[in-house]
Amino acid sequence: MAFNATLETNNDTATITLSGELDASTAPQFKAEVEKAATQGAKRLVLMMQDLEYMASAGLRVLIFTKQKMGASADIYVVGAQEMVLDTINKTGFNQGVIIQDEYSPL
Amino acid sequence: MEPLTLRGSLDSLSSIAQYIMTAAATAGLDKKASYRLRLAVDEIATNIIIHGYEEANIQGDLNLRADLDDDSLTISIEDCGGAFDPFSKLALEESKLNLPMAEKPMGGLGVYLAIQGVDKFFYERFGARNRNTFVVNRHH
Repeated sequence: MAFNATLETNNDTATITLSGELDASTAPQFKAEVEKAATQGAKRLVLMMQDLEYMASAGLRVLIFTKQKMGASADIYVVGAQEMVLDTINKTGFNQGVIIQDEYSPL
Repeated sequence: MEPLTLRGSLDSLSSIAQYIMTAAATAGLDKKASYRLRLAVDEIATNIIIHGYEEANIQGDLNLRADLDDDSLTISIEDCGGAFDPFSKLALEESKLNLPMAEKPMGGLGVYLAIQGVDKFFYERFGARNRNTFVVNRHH
């Protein structure tokens, strides 16, 4: 299934809804939305992952890029990630750097 | 399954995924094993395309094979880029797993995900070619 990333910004919260398959060929689209969000001054990034069916390490690299762009203190929420996507996030230690939720609820 | 030859470009990743998922379904692998195999092959193919071909200014193909026997599904991918043994990067990648995110380098974790995502992983260099082989057991 084709990849899609849609950005919506509200005050200092940027929400990116991801769907389809995130690999090295589609990660630049995700990265571009993160850059846009950072430019708009977002301090918090909410990633809606309910419909993201696949994520390679290229997607993890964009998370690192997010911290570099938005600052290490920026909160990244990973919301509704499917089991295998979450498996990759946990296995690579990225669960330490993001807030994992089933449904979005700002902390 | 028939072998598959693709251009060594990131555009080929979705065709590789289709080939692997078809092979996984034929082998009767469950959803998790299929996903991990697809991830493993995707990560290694991405490394070959980006580091072996694009950064080295080499144009080359990727040759995929899927072989099924009673016990296992074996996928191999061959390329004509420079020698690259994924095992040489494994220790480095494993050392990064526990770093806080802000300190994680942009360099990938793909080799780690590839090697630990399948039951056996081999690398061979023969002549001017690399062969990466992934084996998944059919019965767990």
